[in-house]
Amino acid sequence: MQEIQYVGEHLWPGRIGQFAIILGFVASLLAAAAYFFATQRRHLPEAGQWIQMGRGAFLVHTFSVFAVIGAIFYAMAMQYFEYQYVQAHVSEELPMKYIFSAFWEGQEGSFLLWMFWHVVLGLVLMAGGRQWEAPTLSVLSMIQMIIGSMILGIYLGFGDDPMRIGSNPLMLLREVMDAPIFASADYVSQIKGNGLNPLLQNYWMTIHPPTLFLGFASTAIPFSYAIAGLWMKEHKAWLKPAQRWALFSGAILGTGILMGGAWAYEALSFGGYWAWDPVENMSLVPWLILIAGIHTNLIASNTGHSIRSTYIYYLLTFIFIVYSTFLTRSGVLGDTSVHAFTEMGLEWQLIGFIAFSVLLSAIMLGIRYKGIPSPAKEEPTGSREFWMFIGSLVLLFSSLIITASTSLPVYNKIMQLFNPLFEGRVITDPVPHYNKYQIWIAVFIGLLSGSAQYLRYREFNFAGYARRFGLHAGIALALSGLLTYLTTRWIDANAWQYLTLLFFGWFTIIANADYLITFVRGNLKQAGSVTAHIGFGLMIVGILASGLNQRVISKNLFVMDGLIEGASDEQMRRNIILFKGSPMAMGDYEVAYTGDTIDDFTRTFTVHYKKRNQAGEVVESFDLHPNILYDKSFTKVAASNPSTKRYWDRDIFTHIASLPQVEIDMEYRRKREDSLNYRILQALAGETIAFSDTVPLRGLDTFMVKEYRAAVLEVDRAPAHPDYKPEDGDIAIGATVQIARSDEDSIFTVHPVLVLRGQVLYSYPAQINELSARVRLNEQVFDAVFTPETELDYQAFTFRQGDEVSLDGYRIQFAGFNRQPRHPNYQPGEDDIAVSGMMNVQAPDGKSYTAQPVYLIRDSRPFNLKDEIPELGMHFRFTGIDPATESIEMMIARTEPKPLQIPFEVATNSLRSDYIVLEAIEFPGINLFWLGSSFMMLGLLLSLFVRAKGREQKA
Amino acid sequence: MKKIYVIAIVMIAAAIVLLTTAAEDMSTYATFTDASRSGERVKIAGQLSKDKEMYYNPQEDPNYFSFYIRDTKGDERKVVLLSEKPQDFELSEQIVLTGQMKGDEFVATDMLLKCPSKYKDEEVYIREEAK
Repeated sequence: MQEIQYVGEHLWPGRIGQFAIILGFVASLLAAAAYFFATQRRHLPEAGQWIQMGRGAFLVHTFSVFAVIGAIFYAMAMQYFEYQYVQAHVSEELPMKYIFSAFWEGQEGSFLLWMFWHVVLGLVLMAGGRQWEAPTLSVLSMIQMIIGSMILGIYLGFGDDPMRIGSNPLMLLREVMDAPIFASADYVSQIKGNGLNPLLQNYWMTIHPPTLFLGFASTAIPFSYAIAGLWMKEHKAWLKPAQRWALFSGAILGTGILMGGAWAYEALSFGGYWAWDPVENMSLVPWLILIAGIHTNLIASNTGHSIRSTYIYYLLTFIFIVYSTFLTRSGVLGDTSVHAFTEMGLEWQLIGFIAFSVLLSAIMLGIRYKGIPSPAKEEPTGSREFWMFIGSLVLLFSSLIITASTSLPVYNKIMQLFNPLFEGRVITDPVPHYNKYQIWIAVFIGLLSGSAQYLRYREFNFAGYARRFGLHAGIALALSGLLTYLTTRWIDANAWQYLTLLFFGWFTIIANADYLITFVRGNLKQAGSVTAHIGFGLMIVGILASGLNQRVISKNLFVMDGLIEGASDEQMRRNIILFKGSPMAMGDYEVAYTGDTIDDFTRTFTVHYKKRNQAGEVVESFDLHPNILYDKSFTKVAASNPSTKRYWDRDIFTHIASLPQVEIDMEYRRKREDSLNYRILQALAGETIAFSDTVPLRGLDTFMVKEYRAAVLEVDRAPAHPDYKPEDGDIAIGATVQIARSDEDSIFTVHPVLVLRGQVLYSYPAQINELSARVRLNEQVFDAVFTPETELDYQAFTFRQGDEVSLDGYRIQFAGFNRQPRHPNYQPGEDDIAVSGMMNVQAPDGKSYTAQPVYLIRDSRPFNLKDEIPELGMHFRFTGIDPATESIEMMIARTEPKPLQIPFEVATNSLRSDYIVLEAIEFPGINLFWLGSSFMMLGLLLSLFVRAKGREQKA
Repeated sequence: MKKIYVIAIVMIAAAIVLLTTAAEDMSTYATFTDASRSGERVKIAGQLSKDKEMYYNPQEDPNYFSFYIRDTKGDERKVVLLSEKPQDFELSEQIVLTGQMKGDEFVATDMLLKCPSKYKDEEVYIREEAK
């Protein structure tokens, strides 16, 4: 086959990128090996050289990762659609601000984002890791090598089905796809980009993935430290640096997860911040284990207990990050998740990644387990470390049961390997399923994080302390009871499980606040933990308030009465129809759809909320602006973005669930318009006519006869219509038409417009939604209004300024030039020379009229635009100027004015199009959720800050 | 015995209890026949019958969208979704519904659509002719 010489391809970013991918892969291998030897031979003089080599290799790796990312970005920014990745994620219309989002929309880009953060964190380790640099970077480089292999895109093996390693983001479209278009050498000029999914075109997509991936990447550092500690048998020394990194990781990963929730709540129409989607679950699980690890790490630093558990937790955290990557990227989740990636053929590589992390952890732990110091004496029952350890087990337990349920598709796949007939199992209603177990985890954590704060490390004399403990815990319990009662005055917690949780949520808040005041007293080291635990309690109260009392005000229902039982059918009916201008009562509000505007592809609706007091006076009113985004062809809604009114104690969330079909699909609207049954009517200006129409009733074999009255009030030669944008040379006619049902009093006035542009007729009908009627002008209206030029008998006149002539008894005077002429059909051009002649006409009956025909020179060619005095049937054309004599040439014609018979058309079977289908939900106390969860992250950061300071002072 | 062992035993026991109760929340994908027989809430996977009527008229009821699907056994029934008609519904390759049979109709409260991946047709990426 002959090789095609393609034109217009830009191959060099691809070549640079491909080379950098290979170089980066090899460099990570080298770095891993060099750092491995640097660790193994750390007591030998050659260690320094190995470290130098490791650094060099890691720096080359860093450079390569940057180069790959740079090459892809360059190709994206330049819109080189010949690259498959660019074609899939960028389009010509995509604003540059979304280029980052487009970059990490795909699997390969997000792998690169992950690698990018590993590299950055690796550089920090290199700069400040001291004796830990070599072992941790050896582990990190190995991880980088594995992730790097996911984007290698090389084929191993021979024959028809070679094994592919990785999916290369710099492949050309024609290399990954076989299509007839690639037979043409200039295919590049014929392709366009697919663009970023409109749902992802918002700022959350810019900030959420980098934060989450920094969180993912940062879990590799405690993992590396754990391996390093085991490797070098430094079972105590690794704890401190690992703790700082774990705190950092906990804060960032937690923030990343929360941002996902905030995104779902604020920008997507999910109507909530957490849905127990597998992808969400599998980012939460590593975080829970990490938090468990931070707690045992604290125990280990303070008492020497729990070093083994700390190792296990940090190792597990990363293992679960890898497992989560497998679940979300292998396609195994299939139809159980709304936002998993689709299959890419990386399953086996991802399984290999899991195997690597599990085996490395298990082997290292197995070899060293016996040697890990562990005090012979058990933790005393009254000590803080004992209960903290229990707490960490509860967290682990929680994460394991979440994982078990989420892994159901994996279990199904495995079973099907053995028994192809095995029918996969699914969780029928996931949300109540998870809630009903996790509610008890939360109760335990609330109890433990409240009471354990009062306990002391290494408590050997609990009996002596019991009184004080009992006093504080007792007061905290009593106060929590009171606050729980008060909370139920505000929100409903209609089952004992919820009340229990609410109680322990308050308990942890009170106990920690008490602990802060009476025990901590400015000891910053504890402030972080207190902040985080208070945050946890607040979050629990917020979840209960916003979850249990979430109220779909568009239906006046409490939807989530069944947080753990599931919702009933009636509770699922959440939408309401809102006709423009007709307010509806929703919750405490009177809600009206007042209007909408369209800008490019975004249509923004104004929904007006009004609250009245008992006397009927408006005490509060506000507008919400939910919008929808049309797809490029205007045939469907690509995204619906909610709008939320925020109060300190609740949110009102509003989103457009649906629109009339004619407003969603412009194709359908056109078809619908064509299928309308228009009746042609004719009326003299000012005359009222009557007509009737028969309407078939849906589902019945009967018809209804409707009687109407209609009148044309006036004709407008420079009409306006919301959809009509005047252009040069348009001939436009508008009419004011009134229509009413004969048996009703309301009269509807509309302004249909008809435009002749060149040879094409554009009709701009007017809709009367209340009558389901549509009115448009019949094309005969041009003949009725305009006298055809062929019927006009023009006479030429020459005028100087002030000259006057007489025609059929009319006195016509040329009053002068207007150098800024205005004419309905004239749009001034930049280089136009345009002037109009001001013609005054006096009729025999003494009335005066004016006309202003235009004469213009555009592109050195003369044009004239006629003007007309319809009342007199007088037509003017300004055809020339003679500068020598300062005179003008004017063509004037006159016909007898005829009575204006205006033909127009009415269809009474049009659909209403003036409504929105709306969902509005009230979330009480949701700010407690955000506040509480932010406190948790703040607490982690505060702890990190205090510990990082401690390190500096020591150094 | 060490306390830690006691705790471990308690947790394992709890896990076993949880796993047995969790089994109630799980089921296999049902067919319409299963759903009518049991009358319980189930998940049904099926394919849209594109030739049958799809009806959504918000003016009548904004929470009523009806269509027909064929389950894995090829049984075709009417489905009522108590919600609006989602975008791209016609394009779906597979539909997963959660709900229960009420008479001859399957009343669904939750629906997941599986849509074909984007890169199947060449038209998708060929530049449109200049208008």
